[in-house]
Amino acid sequence: TMSDPEILNKKNKKLDFWIWGIASIIFRIILIYFPKNLNLSSRPEVSTPLTNLRRLAEGYWLKQSSISPYAGSMYHGSPLLLSMLGPLTVKKIEGQPNNLLCSLIFVNADFVAALLIRATGHYLQTAYDRSLELLGISTPLGRSEALPSGEIAALVYLWNPLTIVTCLGSSTAPIENLVVILTLCGACAGLAPLAAFGWVMATHFSLYPVILIIPVVLLLGFGPDAPPRKLFIQKKFGKVGMDLSSDKSLKHKEVTTLRVSPMHFSWVNIFHFLFWACLWSIYVLLLCGISLKDYGGLSEMFRRTYGFILCVEDLSPNIGVLWYFFAEVFEFFRGFFLIVFHVNILFMILPLAIRLNHRPCFLAFVYVAISSMLKSYPSVGDAALYLGLLGLFVNELAGKLDILTNAGDMHFSFFLFCGYVGVFLLSPVMHNLWIWRGTGNANFYFATAITYACFQIILVVESVSAMLNHDRFLRKLSTTTTTTAGIS
Amino acid sequence: MAAIEPLKARKRPIARLGVFVISHSLIVSVICCIAAILALLLLPVLAKNTYISENALMPGSANTMLSSEEVSEADRFMKDVNALSLESVDAGIKIAKLIAQYMADLGAEVCYHKFHHQQNQFNPLHFFSIPDPVVVQRNISCLSFGVNTVGVIRAPRGDGKEAIVLVTPYNSSGMDAAEASSLGIGYSIFSLLSQVTWLAKDIIWLAADSRFGVYAPVAAWLKDYHTPLFSGLGQVNAEVCHESNDLLKLNDAMVSNRNISNIFTRSGTMAAALVIKVVDRHDEADKDTLSIFAEASNGQMPNLDLINIVNYLAVHRQGLRVKVEKFFSLLDSKFLNLVGETVELLGKVAKSLNPNWRFGIPVAEYVEGTATLASSLFNQALGVPTGPHGAFRDYQVDAITLEISPKGSLKNKDQRIDFLMRGGRLVEAVVRSVNNLLEKFHQSFFLYLLTSPSKFVSVGIYMIAFALLIAPLPIVAASLYSDANRRDSSLRNEGSSQPHVFADEPTPTLKSWRWLHAAKSVFIIHFWGSLVTLLPHFISKMPNGTPTSSLIIWLSLCTLSLFLLYMISGSPFSHATASQPQEWAVLKSVTVSAAFIGLCLMSVINFATAEIGALLIVPMCLVAYPLKLDLQDWSFRALIRAACNLTLVLISFPPATFYLFKGGIEGFKSVNAGDFWNWLETLWAWNSATYLYIGMVHLPCWVSCVNILLHPC
Repeated sequence: TMSDPEILNKKNKKLDFWIWGIASIIFRIILIYFPKNLNLSSRPEVSTPLTNLRRLAEGYWLKQSSISPYAGSMYHGSPLLLSMLGPLTVKKIEGQPNNLLCSLIFVNADFVAALLIRATGHYLQTAYDRSLELLGISTPLGRSEALPSGEIAALVYLWNPLTIVTCLGSSTAPIENLVVILTLCGACAGLAPLAAFGWVMATHFSLYPVILIIPVVLLLGFGPDAPPRKLFIQKKFGKVGMDLSSDKSLKHKEVTTLRVSPMHFSWVNIFHFLFWACLWSIYVLLLCGISLKDYGGLSEMFRRTYGFILCVEDLSPNIGVLWYFFAEVFEFFRGFFLIVFHVNILFMILPLAIRLNHRPCFLAFVYVAISSMLKSYPSVGDAALYLGLLGLFVNELAGKLDILTNAGDMHFSFFLFCGYVGVFLLSPVMHNLWIWRGTGNANFYFATAITYACFQIILVVESVSAMLNHDRFLRKLSTTTTTTAGIS
Repeated sequence: MAAIEPLKARKRPIARLGVFVISHSLIVSVICCIAAILALLLLPVLAKNTYISENALMPGSANTMLSSEEVSEADRFMKDVNALSLESVDAGIKIAKLIAQYMADLGAEVCYHKFHHQQNQFNPLHFFSIPDPVVVQRNISCLSFGVNTVGVIRAPRGDGKEAIVLVTPYNSSGMDAAEASSLGIGYSIFSLLSQVTWLAKDIIWLAADSRFGVYAPVAAWLKDYHTPLFSGLGQVNAEVCHESNDLLKLNDAMVSNRNISNIFTRSGTMAAALVIKVVDRHDEADKDTLSIFAEASNGQMPNLDLINIVNYLAVHRQGLRVKVEKFFSLLDSKFLNLVGETVELLGKVAKSLNPNWRFGIPVAEYVEGTATLASSLFNQALGVPTGPHGAFRDYQVDAITLEISPKGSLKNKDQRIDFLMRGGRLVEAVVRSVNNLLEKFHQSFFLYLLTSPSKFVSVGIYMIAFALLIAPLPIVAASLYSDANRRDSSLRNEGSSQPHVFADEPTPTLKSWRWLHAAKSVFIIHFWGSLVTLLPHFISKMPNGTPTSSLIIWLSLCTLSLFLLYMISGSPFSHATASQPQEWAVLKSVTVSAAFIGLCLMSVINFATAEIGALLIVPMCLVAYPLKLDLQDWSFRALIRAACNLTLVLISFPPATFYLFKGGIEGFKSVNAGDFWNWLETLWAWNSATYLYIGMVHLPCWVSCVNILLHPC
């Protein structure tokens, strides 16, 4: 039951979202017309050997000349992307900037990604409200006063300067981000085929999203993020214990409502997902095989894409930490350290999955952030993705619900913000000092890369601890409500 | 309630130290600022003697070979040039032809380089990008052109992949004896080097036609050198200018000699460049004087080794007196003399305590060092190159200008020959030393300040002063921010005695995200700053603008746009309500953080600008406090603080700073209102990062501080 001003308010908010979303699109299109002035595509922060559009154009050109697109170590992306974007790179419109069509595709990808984030936010929020209701936790704020996390996350994604820079920098990262978001959105909505498609494509494009299978499985199995499962069990048994004397119809009702609660793991959905994942991967591999039939086939593709990612062959500087390390390390130890660095990501998967299994979407955010920290060719596009996902948890992380204690609260938000701004301003200057002025050296640039990595670690640690604090707070609330209910 | 609050666990020592520093931010910032100023004053004491870092250079290891034969030949060449320049007013092309003829007779490959005079373009993103070679040349007036003459000696022991450049600027429309003798020195070296067998790097002699200033021809030649254009001299500018003048015809006539071609001659990458300039000061001295100019654009310096070898050879081999620029007005400053005396006294005391402690320096040396250091800082901070050597630095070539002034008159033949001999031998020794280089200069420092030709302060030392100066900024920001949050939550806890009655809560605020609003207003001010930075470009396009009127237009547009932006997006005060008691503190915290980031960034781009800017901004940001609160308080301390705030804000306003500085150096009578505009125009015409700093860091921080002062709390 909402009063009229509230409905009006909601409508206004909706309108605001569309206005700001479309404004961001217009802003991008205006900036597309200054490609020379910005020259973003040559920045190592924006385009990596995997995502650079110029490399893709080169690969397309090679393929048109009946040479393997992977010849000469220029292109390292997917053959599907080559067939999709390749023809657009050569098409030039008179009087328009180069790559206009590709840029428009990237703008579209950003916008669609933002809409998907918004939808994900809606799914998450409804599910979360339902579980809080089930637990009988009365939030301090009504449903209408909680922040619309989906809208916020979508706008954060659209207006994040890093997203804008990635979109304008002629890099294929917007498409990679889009499929990752598609996976999460599909999984949140419980659409196994969609989630499987997103996951297969994301893995195919950039390999690292393969670890997202754990959050996706949890999402499809348990449903979207909810308070810890223990609370539901306590609630159930507490209630059942109390209600032993009361009439049966109530008890029955209780049980049926708990069935849709996050207690229940739906294996059907998982099998559904796995089946579709197999189907999609066979389909993708088939298409790739056809596309690369004369140029070495699938083995060549795996070697030149996944092999290139895993072996860190290109040591040109980027905002990650691996290039510096592998430029320094002796050839003899290279294999060992390659394993160490990649296992680093894998080591973190299981503990996090156990600790955060009731919040699969948040778990996906943590995975994306960690892999963007440790991946071999990171760019600001990865940061754009995880910062956008971070916006989905604004209610939990900003201490909106537990306003009194601010237990779940990111203490260092201002510090992190300043750090990110500082690093992203300093990084091009250091690069200039090293490469163009010659007065600095590689350590100058690497210093910003390592600072960036530190800030990312702080961000992950802070957000995870804020989320866990939020869980603790919920437990407190739930126990107090249970006991009060029991006493009454 | 108490149980919900997180347990105050024992924190780790480093966290406790951080908390301690943040809670004592006032005293920490006072100590840091005083220490920073002391460290700045002590820099001349901490300066180290220069040393030649690269072993391969081996300066002075071989005897100079320049003999009286080459010098008398050069003297004859000078006479011919002088005669030609006296003969007709506009002898430009004839002189170029003469120089080319002489070069060709020595067996060098010669070519002409024609360039058009071009107004300096404002390019705000220049710093972050490479010099763009394919920029379409606009604003060219086809009739004003100059002709450089370039001669290349191929090294008998080299592979043509490296070169050393000698530049002798001369004004083709009206040459004087000094310019002729710089050509003479160039010629004497060139004739010697065309015969020697030890050359491993090609020698390029660029006789630069400096009728449009000494910088333009060198910059134009370097640009064409690094831009592969596969066409002859006539076609280079053919798309832009139709060759209506008779240069092409002349060109054909000029290319009579086999060695002279109209194709742009190139050699390899440049190892070093020397700009040789002769200045006749007409003052009697006991020695020839050599002034070294090294500052390139944005405070970049050539490798210190280049200055070292020139200084070493000039002092120890040729017996010249070597100078670098200094502020003469500082030499008789009472304050500096006082500081110098204290330093000397301290040094003596320290030495009497322990003879191994030797840090004291004499007063005269201290004052001289400070004057040189100040000039070095100032020139770097301006970001405008001090000579044609600046053009080389844009292509990562180490270059300096050697300005030689003779002790006697250049009219006297014996003295002239003597002078040519000494100058020539110096350049020859430097060339020979650079010729030994195996790699490009990399061994010694790039980031340094000179306190005398043989003393320098390296980056590791001068950064201390800067780091101390900006260290209070993050501490104060953190302390303000945490204070504001603490007060906020204590207020809220008092207000709600019953934790479960949520309805009584005031409008919920996101405690840890409340900085967002302040960040928004600071961002808007910085956005305004970047708009304002672009405005002068458009104002300068307006016809018949005097500097004063342009300045007034600029200032009024600045104010107007600021108020417009406030109207559109809400002023920083719109959020100040009762529920946000510490709003101004959060605003100040964000302002201080922005200043910190801006200063850090600038210290990497151009240290000197950041240092001078920090001296102005840091006190202003640290002291800023709402005037309203001060006036309500009406205590002695509050009034002092308000007075300090007003003075600092007045001083730090960029035009005010400029007029005060200029008045302090040249006397207030000579200061015009339009000077500031002219100065700004110079900065942007030279693409100085200082201009961007003023517009995008200093001015916005100033506006933010004014906002804090006027905050309605």
